[in-house]
Amino acid sequence: MIAKTLKSKIYPALLAGTARQQLSFSGDLAELASEDVLDATLNALSLTGQALRFERPLPPANFAVEAIVGDKRPLIADSMRRPLLRLLKDRRPSDDLALALAWAFGRCKLRPHPFDLPKIDAFVRSHAEHLGLTAQHWAQQRDTAAHEPQGYFDADDLDETIWTKAPPARRARFIAERRRQDETAARTLVESVWEQETAETRVRLLAALETGLNTGDRTFLEGLAKDRAPRVRALAQRFLARISGHGGEHPALRACLERISRSTTGLLKKRPALTLELPATVKEHETKAWIRETFAEVGCEELAGALQLTETQLVEAAEKDAKLSLALALMATQDRHFDLLAQLTGGQLDGAWEQLSQCGAADLSMMSNEERLRWAGILIHPYKGNPPASYPAWSWLHRSLEGPAPELLIESVLRSPRWLSQLLEENKLGAEWMEMLVAVSPSTHWGRLRALIAPLDPELTRTALPLLDILDSMEKVGHHEQ
Amino acid sequence: MALSLEKVEALAPDQASLDAARKLLKPSGWPALASNGSGLVWGECQGSGATPYRVAVSETDAGYKCTCPSRKFPCKHALALMWMRAEGKQTFAAAEVPAWVNDWLSRRRGPAADAAAETKDAKPKASMDATSQTAPAEDSDPRTEARAAAARERNRQEREASILKGLDDLDVWLFDQMERGLAGFAAQSTQACRLIAQRLVDAKASGLATRLDGLPARLFTLPEPLRPAAAIEELGLIHLMSSAYRRQESLPADLKADLRQAAGWSLTREALLADPGAMRMSGRWRVVAALSEAQPDRLRRIETWLWHEGVREDLNAPRFAVLIDFVPVATGAASGGYSVGDRIEAELVFYSSSAPMRAQIVHALSGAQACDAPLELPEQTLDAAYKIYQSALCLQPWLGVWPMCVRAARVRRHESQLFLCDSEKKDAPVALPLQPSQFAQATPLLGLEKLDAVGLWDGYRFTLCWAETELGRWVNA
Repeated sequence: MIAKTLKSKIYPALLAGTARQQLSFSGDLAELASEDVLDATLNALSLTGQALRFERPLPPANFAVEAIVGDKRPLIADSMRRPLLRLLKDRRPSDDLALALAWAFGRCKLRPHPFDLPKIDAFVRSHAEHLGLTAQHWAQQRDTAAHEPQGYFDADDLDETIWTKAPPARRARFIAERRRQDETAARTLVESVWEQETAETRVRLLAALETGLNTGDRTFLEGLAKDRAPRVRALAQRFLARISGHGGEHPALRACLERISRSTTGLLKKRPALTLELPATVKEHETKAWIRETFAEVGCEELAGALQLTETQLVEAAEKDAKLSLALALMATQDRHFDLLAQLTGGQLDGAWEQLSQCGAADLSMMSNEERLRWAGILIHPYKGNPPASYPAWSWLHRSLEGPAPELLIESVLRSPRWLSQLLEENKLGAEWMEMLVAVSPSTHWGRLRALIAPLDPELTRTALPLLDILDSMEKVGHHEQ
Repeated sequence: MALSLEKVEALAPDQASLDAARKLLKPSGWPALASNGSGLVWGECQGSGATPYRVAVSETDAGYKCTCPSRKFPCKHALALMWMRAEGKQTFAAAEVPAWVNDWLSRRRGPAADAAAETKDAKPKASMDATSQTAPAEDSDPRTEARAAAARERNRQEREASILKGLDDLDVWLFDQMERGLAGFAAQSTQACRLIAQRLVDAKASGLATRLDGLPARLFTLPEPLRPAAAIEELGLIHLMSSAYRRQESLPADLKADLRQAAGWSLTREALLADPGAMRMSGRWRVVAALSEAQPDRLRRIETWLWHEGVREDLNAPRFAVLIDFVPVATGAASGGYSVGDRIEAELVFYSSSAPMRAQIVHALSGAQACDAPLELPEQTLDAAYKIYQSALCLQPWLGVWPMCVRAARVRRHESQLFLCDSEKKDAPVALPLQPSQFAQATPLLGLEKLDAVGLWDGYRFTLCWAETELGRWVNA
């Protein structure tokens, strides 16, 4: 009873100040009354404090209903949780290390332990799509900018009913795969959501229709001539131009042709020769970026057709021009013309791997894993056991492949320890190189790779060996689960 | 082996020290590495000087000593030695404990001192401090002793008088605050509390001074609407302590001891160990929380919370114990020698209290061992645990932090605040708000239907320290 009285009578006076609101000790509080005002006031303070202290904290009126995320992926092995945290938390991990881990999670269909998500928050938010549904849920919860609830699906689980709830990149991949199976069905899916999509997503979805482009797409593509986004209009125009029998305008192709000069060469047999003339405003260091930008939206077939050559003749005609050969290599990559790429890298374009890496990130999202490995094999092959000692080139290849490189690459490093020792002598070898070797190495070569790098200075292998342990464990668990 | 890489990480004052220690892992930098086979390792590390640094580590409690001049504790040499030991890649030669290690052990306080006593018996102590400690009492002059005792008593009386005078000042200050009104107290509390805290320091009531000095920080951790009520609670408590101190002779002995400790009278470890009436408990203890907080007096308070495993002979004996260490903030040391999850077999002696919690290790029967076994908590709901807290509050009204263990609880969310609740619905449910700083870390617990938890309740916020869940163990880090 006295607690109630204290809270109703004394508490307001204490808040307002006893100088303004005199304390009154009547009724239940009569015992507190004293001639010594100081004493009585302080006793009232103590008793009110105690009354408040014994109150139970009030529970909120309601609690949030938490989303149920049915993540069926197995957890990473318990023994690997600490090493994983050490790699990702203690210091800022290199991007390649983080990517290697994220892709391994995706490849092995494993997920990080939910209790570790707060500790590796930055990693989770950057690579959530590879880490399973719980991680995606976590990333979305933490992303205050995301207001719309998203669905959480593994890329393999997408179907026609839920594909619109996946992130844009995964949706584009889904459409490309669907397109390979049924061209019309894939286009119908894109048409059904077209109006609600953002410009960025529309570009991605339209690009995904490139696979199996046919005359049936014409009506849809013609309708895009009035699209709000210039990139969508340009891409649609390009696709229309590629559909046989359509004489649509192709500004990107026209821009390329303006820069290519044609002549003939040969004494006995005249052959066409092509050279690429760069605008005078393009400086030396900007060359590769300009080539990429100019030729990005043109296909080999289109260019060859416009020059009235076959694709093989086109490559032969660019033989003496390294810049045009590089442009053709970019186009061949984009078109998945591996025979043309092999023709170019087989002597015509020196250091194709390094040169392509300098052009910027390669978008191989429309290639299957086998195609990616084949593409990388073509680039690696000319180095014949002596891969470039350029870290950016290796990093570019790793990111392009989104996983390990062809065995050929790591085999060449393992077979010639001189390559490593040379890097070591030149003082170029750092911990990031060791991480890269692990990241690009296929699982079949991990044992030999470990034997090669384990004896090196611990400072060099401080992250590579734990990374190898983690990848090894993930591969085993993933393999076992499958 | 008691040392683990996790423990080395936890002990490191900063990342730079760990990086520097990593560079010392090469065996070529260590001309000598040895171990006595019972938890003591030492070595010599070649530094930049002519003579190598001497480094010793006690695995039992992660104690360390290095002769280098570094101001970081532990230094990179000690960390490197622990690291090598934890990794187990280097060979430590079995050897007799050298004199310099024995000397260090003899000067250590705490459980490892017993180990020192066992190993040093062959040789006399080398340090001057040590010789003064062991000087036989019968050699001293009885008159000098009596004079010293009289001086101590005079000092005590002077301090008592000084504290009482300080409490009078405190009453006036409290009255001033009440006249002004406590609705806006938090806003001007920093300056006001600092002033009275300084006066209490002068009056030698350091415990009360620290409590008042830390009050603004405590208030500011709460949401604004709760601050006036919290100010009334806290200031009311301070007056309660002040008036209780004046009539301490009429209080029960345990409560009186509590009060004197809260006021600032300290009891040395030696005095505690020598007290025959002090409660002692032996058994296996698990480290359930390791907290560290920098105080306004530039000391870091390191708390290691222990849970008694197994059956207690006396059901009224405490389940929890807390070891409290203070280290200068400047050393960079941020953790004690124990990691959450460690299991220790030790005898503890508790400071006299109406709700005993603070303890010292009398002697450790085994070194701290990392342990994955789940905690065996009693069947106790959050509601029941809260009632126990209220009972403890009746015994000691100025109780600060109270440990709780609960079964079948769950974490729930209301807006951006997490709460610990019973998993079963009740008519008058208890929902303890978790520390806001734990929001991100405890969010993964949201979806779990049931968890067994250990945490610390400070009257306003619950610090979740440990949870056994279907996904494994969750610990506050």
